[in-house]
This record gives sequence, C-alpha cells and structure tokens, in this order.
Amino acid sequence: MDCETLYDVLGVSRRATRDQIDKAHHFLRQMYDDVSLATYSLLDPEEKRATRARVNHAYEVLGDPVRRREYDVSLDPTPQEKTSQTVLSFPPGAPSAAGPSPPRPESSGPATILKGPVTGEHLRRLREQKGVSLQTISTSSKIGVRFFEYIEADRHSHLPARVYLRSFLQEYAKALGLDPNGVADAYIARLPKA
Amino acid sequence: MSATPGGLITAPVPRSRRQIWSLGGGKGGIGKSLLAASLGWQLSRMGKRVILIDADLGGANLHTCLGFANPPERTLGDFIRRRVERIEDVAVETGFTGLRLISGASDFLGAANIKYPQKVRVLNRIRGLDVDVVLMDLGAGTAFNIIDFFLISDVGILTVVPEPTSIENAYRFIKSALYRRLRGAATTENVKEIIESALDQKNANGIKTPLDLLRAVEREDPGAVDSLRKEMAAFHPRFVVNQVRGDADIPVGHQLVTACARHLGIRSTYAGFVHYDDAVWQCVRRRRLFVAEAPGSTPAVEVAQLARALIRNESLPLSW
Repeated sequence: MDCETLYDVLGVSRRATRDQIDKAHHFLRQMYDDVSLATYSLLDPEEKRATRARVNHAYEVLGDPVRRREYDVSLDPTPQEKTSQTVLSFPPGAPSAAGPSPPRPESSGPATILKGPVTGEHLRRLREQKGVSLQTISTSSKIGVRFFEYIEADRHSHLPARVYLRSFLQEYAKALGLDPNGVADAYIARLPKA
Repeated sequence: MSATPGGLITAPVPRSRRQIWSLGGGKGGIGKSLLAASLGWQLSRMGKRVILIDADLGGANLHTCLGFANPPERTLGDFIRRRVERIEDVAVETGFTGLRLISGASDFLGAANIKYPQKVRVLNRIRGLDVDVVLMDLGAGTAFNIIDFFLISDVGILTVVPEPTSIENAYRFIKSALYRRLRGAATTENVKEIIESALDQKNANGIKTPLDLLRAVEREDPGAVDSLRKEMAAFHPRFVVNQVRGDADIPVGHQLVTACARHLGIRSTYAGFVHYDDAVWQCVRRRRLFVAEAPGSTPAVEVAQLARALIRNESLPLSW
C-alpha cells in the first residue's frame, strides 16, 4: 500500500510511546516468526520473510528518536514545535516496563538553578554527586541512555535536533532536581547556532 | 414500575433482543461441544433463557456434555422430517434452569445433508424461538450446511486451539464462509464466477485472499466492489482460544485478529480464552458439566468472562 506509514506497519499511533513501539514490535515479531501459529497456512515463508523485513525496518526507524523525528518530518514537512513535543511526551499513565518510576532525588526541594553556560562535564559531575545513574534517568524518562551519554560527552554531532535535545535536557535536569529550562538553556547556549 | 411489599421499586426487566449465536471452528476434537454446553449454562446462570441446538448433525453429543444418561427421544431430525411440527416441541429440559436443548443425536447420517428447503425452514423456525439466546453447536468442517448456520447467526464464534491444524482449519472456515456470503450477495454472473474461482486455491486469477478477490472484482466489474466491501465489513467472526496451556498461547487470539485484518481484510474480535484443565476431562468422563460442578475454577471463570464479552461485543484488549 502506497499510503502505509511505518506507524501503520507497527500498528501504533503517531503518538505512540517508545514503550508501545517496543511492545508492538515484539508482538509482530512473534506473529511473523517461522513457528508462529497465527500466520501458519496464511502466509508462505517468503511472505513472512518480506513482512518481517518491513516490521523490522519500521522498528529501526521508529525505535530511534532521531530517525523517528526525521521520519515524522518527512511525513509532515511543516511540523509545529508543539506537535513534535507531543510525540515525545509520555503520558503519566502510560505503562512502564520498569514498573513505577524510581524516586527523583530532591524533587520536592527547590530546583537548583545553574548559571552561565553548562558543559556535559558539568552535568556529569553534578549527576555523580547526586549518585544518580544514567540508566535511572533513562528508565524514568524512557529516553535511550546513549543520548545522555552524548550530552555528557559533548558529542554535539550526535545530538538530536534542538527541540528534542531541549526535551532530553529537561528530563535529565528533572531527574537530578535541577531547573529544567535553566539547564536546557545553559547547555544549548554553548552549542554552535543551528 | 411497581412497588413491592418491601418498598423496593422494581422496573420490568427489559427483554433483550433475541440473538442467535453459533459456535464453529472447522476442526473436530477441539472441545467445541463442551464449550457450547458451558457457555449455554453460563448464559442461563446470568438470567438468559437459552436453547442450545446441537447442529452437529451426524456427530451430535451435546446431550452427553450436559450429563444426559440417554440421548433425548425428540431431536432436530424429527422436526426436519416433519414428524414434529413445531421446533419448540423438540426442545428438552436439561435440568439446569433456563437452559433447554434441541439435540441432534440419534439422527441418521443422512441428516447432515439436509436439502435446501428444509434448511430454510429450520433457520426460519430458529429465528422464531422465544428465548434470549439460541446457541448452536456446529459440526466440524466447512460444509455448506454448517456455513449457512454460521452466516445466519448474529454472533459467529470460531473456536480454535493453539495448534497449527486448528488454525489452518479456522482460516479455511473463515474464507469459505466469507466467500459464500459474498457469492450470495453478488448480482452479476461475472462476479459470481470470480468468487467461485476463488474457492479453488490454485485459481487462475491468483486470488489467495479476500483482498485479492476484491482487487479482481475491481478489475472486472468496478461497480460491484462497493456492495462486496459492505458484505465484508458486516462479516465479523469472534475468536475463542480453547485449551490454552500457557501464557504464550494467550496472544495467539490477538495475532489471529491482527492477521485477519492485515492479510484477509476481515474484521474480527478476540472474545476470550479458556485454559486446559485435566479436571474438565475427568468431569466429561463422568458425564458431568464441569462449569456447573466447579463454578469457581479457572476454566469456569474464563467461560463467564467469555460470555460477558460476547454479550457486550467486547474484545480482549492488547496490553499496550
């Protein structure tokens, strides 16, 4: 089908969370497996292989925040910043594979305000002082741990587009009890102009 | 409304619309009759007036599932052969309140091949039965008789067990039933021929699925496609996965629904599943109805959930 999007291939909505995309992929991988009952006698091995390839391709793109954003832009070339953030935001009630989110340190206290430009190294030291692992931030924010590694390593060429980077930085800051907007502004201020 | 001596106001119980449910599955030996008996019992327990019809003419054994010591003397065959005028008169009490049985037992093997006018008479009279739910246990296979009973139902239930042979037969059943329905709705000879050709899996038109069929009709007779699409949209089988043995078997129903939608263009529902339990079969051996003997057991609770989902036309939700 010409109009079939990668979201259609995975059977998820354009607003699906990362967790929903993972589960949809898992479900379809089982369904199109060579030993799957549900497609037995319905599809021949070649059809199964071709369908599996489409499912895996859709997952490679939609399971990667950067490639997903690029794909979203290709679907809808004039995205509003608001809608882009909607795609990334995770509803508080969404089921999490990791169970309840880990407590966020100092979340009840006043947020720490950072002044001046902030480097990845600053952030890493702050995080280590607070004893929070990147994995913890990744689990609670449902953002891939490698993006936080790129942020801390200042690997600017690996960072996603600004609107995404901003939201990743805000999540990172929230997990450390820092002022989300302040951290995002301070970090982005150092980056070359887009 | 009327006031009872206790001061409670009782509203008349709204009479639900009479419904015909049928239970097919293409394959024998998958617990279909036992499931029909259990579902019928459950519906009657929920306050429905139910008649179970053993439409497995030639292989009837619903009476055994219900604990009858001997096959009922009056059977559906008596009505078909006009030894009995009214279909109500071949319905027998089961010993469970609200649940009666029209047995297909003790009929000649030939009964499975009832002629078309007889079939129409049976179907019309079934529609006229004064109960809440008529639940038909269909025989195995994809004979026209079986498919026609399935197609006149308000709720067509397909029982599968998590085994390749059962799944294969279920798909065959779905395609046969849908093609027969489309064949009945076709208005031109040309379209009828295309549909008939589709019944042969090695057809020259390359039609393997209902979606292929629609494309072939669109090429030959574009004006006929819309009505076929409407027929397809109205065809809505409900899946039940029976004899589930582990958690991995439960998503099979979701996968069937997804596969039907994607590869056949057929809308379906996953109505529920029932776990396998050795105690069920021990009960069958003693000719006792398991759900009535152990209503708190897992299979009985699952049958109750299934009955509710079918009444409300609900699908089991995917967990994401």
